Amino acid sequence: MTATVERPAAPQPKKPNQAIVPGTRTTRPKRRKPLGIDKRPGFLTYALLIVFFIGGTYPLYWSFIAGSSPSSVLTQTWPPLLPGGLFWQNVGQVMDTVPFWMSLLNSVIVSTVITISVVLFSTLAGYSFAKLKFRGREGLLIFVIATLAVPTQLGIIPLFMVMKQFGWTGTLGAVIVPTLVTAFGVFFMRQYLVDVIPEELIEAARVDGASMISTFWHVGIPAARPAMAILGLFTFMTAWTDYLWPLLVVPQNPTLQVALSQLQSAKYVDYSIVLAGAVLATVPLLILFILAGRQLVSGIMAGAVKG
Amino acid sequence: MKISRRTKGAAALAGVAAFALLATGCSSGGSSASSTGNSTDPITLSVTTFGTMGYDDLYKQYEQLHPNITINATNIDTGDNAKTDWQTKEAAGAGLPDVQAVEEGWLSAVMQVSDQFNDLSQYGANDIKDRWVPWKLAQATDAKGRIIGYGSDIGPEGLCYNSKDFAAAGLPTDRDQVAALFGGDNATWADYFKIGAQYKAATGKAFYDQSGFIWNAMVNQLKEGYYKTDGSLNVDGNAQLEALWTQLASATSSGLSANQTAWDWGKGKAFTDGSFSTFVCPGWMLGVVKGQVTSAGGDATSGWDFANVFPGGAANWGGSFLTVPTQSKHPQEAADLAAFLTNAQSQAAAFGVAGTFPSVTAAQTDPAVTGTNALSTFFNNAPIGTILAARAKNVVAQYKGPDDSVIQSQVFGPAIQEIDSGKADGPTAWNDAITLLNQLVVNK
Amino acid sequence: MTATLTPPQEQKPAAAAPATKPKVPFKHRLNRFDVKASPYFYIAPFFILFGLVGLFPLGYTFVVSLNKWNLLTGPGGFVGLANYGAELTDPFFWNSLFNTVSIFLLSAIPQLVIAVLIAAVLDQNIRNKTFWRMSVLIPYVVTPVAVTLIFSSAFDEKYGAINNLLQFFHLNPVMWKTETFPSHVAIATMVNWRWTGYNALILLAAMQAVPRDIYESAALDGAGAIRRFFSMTLPSIRPTMIFVIVTATVGGLQIFTEPKLFNPTTATPGGPQRQYQTTVLYLWDLAFNRQNFGKASAVAWMLFLIIVLFGVLNFVIGRRIASTEARSSKRKTAKVLAAYNTQKIDNEAAGALALTAAAEEKRS
Repeated sequence: MTATVERPAAPQPKKPNQAIVPGTRTTRPKRRKPLGIDKRPGFLTYALLIVFFIGGTYPLYWSFIAGSSPSSVLTQTWPPLLPGGLFWQNVGQVMDTVPFWMSLLNSVIVSTVITISVVLFSTLAGYSFAKLKFRGREGLLIFVIATLAVPTQLGIIPLFMVMKQFGWTGTLGAVIVPTLVTAFGVFFMRQYLVDVIPEELIEAARVDGASMISTFWHVGIPAARPAMAILGLFTFMTAWTDYLWPLLVVPQNPTLQVALSQLQSAKYVDYSIVLAGAVLATVPLLILFILAGRQLVSGIMAGAVKG
Repeated sequence: MKISRRTKGAAALAGVAAFALLATGCSSGGSSASSTGNSTDPITLSVTTFGTMGYDDLYKQYEQLHPNITINATNIDTGDNAKTDWQTKEAAGAGLPDVQAVEEGWLSAVMQVSDQFNDLSQYGANDIKDRWVPWKLAQATDAKGRIIGYGSDIGPEGLCYNSKDFAAAGLPTDRDQVAALFGGDNATWADYFKIGAQYKAATGKAFYDQSGFIWNAMVNQLKEGYYKTDGSLNVDGNAQLEALWTQLASATSSGLSANQTAWDWGKGKAFTDGSFSTFVCPGWMLGVVKGQVTSAGGDATSGWDFANVFPGGAANWGGSFLTVPTQSKHPQEAADLAAFLTNAQSQAAAFGVAGTFPSVTAAQTDPAVTGTNALSTFFNNAPIGTILAARAKNVVAQYKGPDDSVIQSQVFGPAIQEIDSGKADGPTAWNDAITLLNQLVVNK
Repeated sequence: MTATLTPPQEQKPAAAAPATKPKVPFKHRLNRFDVKASPYFYIAPFFILFGLVGLFPLGYTFVVSLNKWNLLTGPGGFVGLANYGAELTDPFFWNSLFNTVSIFLLSAIPQLVIAVLIAAVLDQNIRNKTFWRMSVLIPYVVTPVAVTLIFSSAFDEKYGAINNLLQFFHLNPVMWKTETFPSHVAIATMVNWRWTGYNALILLAAMQAVPRDIYESAALDGAGAIRRFFSMTLPSIRPTMIFVIVTATVGGLQIFTEPKLFNPTTATPGGPQRQYQTTVLYLWDLAFNRQNFGKASAVAWMLFLIIVLFGVLNFVIGRRIASTEARSSKRKTAKVLAAYNTQKIDNEAAGALALTAAAEEKRS
């Protein structure tokens, strides 16, 4: 929406990776003498960092403690410091109450399909907007930008009726279809590709007789890869955390988030079971975080400084 | 708030009841098995229930009787949440289970789209319709005479009390004496609140958990509740209702309510730490009480007992039906399962687990109901089945209008919370309720 | 919409056929078709799908909003703008807007302050940078549903972890789930917990983009660390801060999961007296509990307009602040900063990226 897409006048293409890898301070000059700007910080800094760390992780740890204990610990003034021994028993009850594995699989399917679709179509369209010439390009790009902030999820009522009409309610397709493309994805890829692919590279490929699609495949995709990875990560996260829409269309065939909320409404007497479920449902993303956390950090920071 | 949730609670203990059932011999158990048609194709039947219905072991039993059938059961905490769930799936045209439990409070909403449910007469209802007390069957019959649901339980109300807390306040603890204390067959709400005031004076503690359930009971006792029998609204300008409201509000503002969150009760802890000492108990609520006490780490020694008395006379709260939505792909098998779950033995077994008092006449006198079971031992060996049978006498089925559950939960629910938390006095809260009524029901 | 597009320099047609040849060989024609049509084929999937699943439903929402429309029984006649009129006079609608804005303010302001603090700490020359950066992002991988389950237990009024603590210190327990302000604080806390680290990283990136030499010259001028932070770091990240706020707005105006699951035992979604019933939750209640698709669609459209309005407003404010800054700087160091900031305006698009990324995400 409120975006100024301004291509720098300088023809000089930017260093491809600068936009995406954070912390590369290419502009930072070598220090001649220390002025106290970049000296190692003191104890207070690390103390604060530890406070942030505890603030960010304790609630999760606390739910693991509660999820591994009988529910009576939840009402104690001082919860125990160490987990109890009932985690697997509570997890067993989670499995008895909601179809955990099925919902996990559903979420993986839904998030993966949406991610592939969004990344593929965004890269195609983003490449086209960034590097190809065609009539109506400016107008269409303005349209994309204008729709960036359109909250399409407010269209749930007609979508719900359409899904019923097609008989899709209850199927994963109903969850997937509304988010197969995003304007954000197209804009993101366009912004990235406009800088990283030198025109000469495309021209060279074309002179060699490569078709448009093969140029896209051999020049566009390799250049777009880092941005595709980041767009993919965020799309996956978004699809994974979505709750309102899956709640409406697939209550009997739930995604993980819906199953988790069903756990709450089936079992809230035994809150330790609910919390065991919350911990369990967080594990897949924690694993993803451990594997791709760096990229996630980079992606968030790249979003802010990219230019 | 209206009914609802019978806790999942002691589902694990259902095993005991199931064994008892097998031990008593299943003398007439053949009826449901014989009605199944095609018993070879593997079929999965989904069932959605709410609260604590005590069916878990019956499912297993049914699967053993019918090896081709797998039961996929979902339970939802409260009847209100179950209603939203049903409504969304009904609107989506997909996702409804083969057997859907329907609560009495929203039965009339269901009746508005009764053609979305199978007429069970086509699937054997006529052979078994003498099972139920007649008014239960009548409730499940739509305007065209189609039977859309099999009655499961009814909710005759007795009084749960905590004998330890009563002893501490110098009140009698024996359940017959307690019944007499509250006035026996002539018990009134005035008696109840008077004893509550004594209790409060003696212990400084609240008498009941929150005002919502009391209000439910008061309304359900009336001949006509939120609706007149002709279907018109009966709230605004209803002096009888308003007088009851005033009575309840003044008792609450004198500190008799513990202002607990219903269906949460501090994860059950409020049941074990003397936060309140009496509790409104329709049959199915007994399973809830047990579940709450257990989840807070308590057991039978926590002192809860069940007395054959109820202020204001006979009252019924809740009760449910098993229906077969037309979305079901296996209506015959689903109807057979519903018939099985509501036969006398099953109902008696479910009672032993969850306290759901059967609407099937034969089950009401079944030894599994009148005798001891897992639940009765929890309540200090109170003869809960016998007491509930006594409490069920004189219960009349009150007409429930299409928005009955909305009025209960969204109109009076908030108003009750206002008086409980001290945000408003009786008259203000009543006016607020009327405003809500106009907004949510009259001008919807 | 307000977008400035400076087109890239024209590019010479890649393969200009020699003009002398009158007949274009098939291969060339194919090639020309390839060049002309390919771009459209590449953008077509996006536009077709977006039209079908994004724009059409929004448009159709408007159609539904002009009718009486029941969840179960379907359309019941054209009523014009009556649904809008009814909602505009419905106290529940205004209540939901109030709650939404209140929860938004309670989440945006503390979130921004703490995020700046975290970013400032992270912006120092600390050891194990990547570890600490990742550590502030951990809450972000806990999904809103899980966050709500965890916090709703801690915020229980009776025997909840937080009230237990308060009572231990002889303070009065707070009615987190049945009083308006406390419930807003509780819900804002959940939002803040999940998003502060995320926003801190965005702000950190903005801080790192400030060239180090201007700090050095300021240090030469004798400005201490705290002075440098307030007079240089803060002004230079202001555009990014605004984007963070807008992010929070676009997401915050659509908050649903947290209020929906905060207290599952109340029959009225959003608290016994709708204390924390946000607009999207109200919309859901209207559509799927009260069965009124017509009114719910009207609410959806009004919310849509409000969100777009906020977006435009942000753009205007964002531009103004950026340009005022460029003009009003006087001091030597500030001048360097200003020059840098003028360049930075180009980066607004990037800010928008961050904005939409988070907004997309927050819609749960």
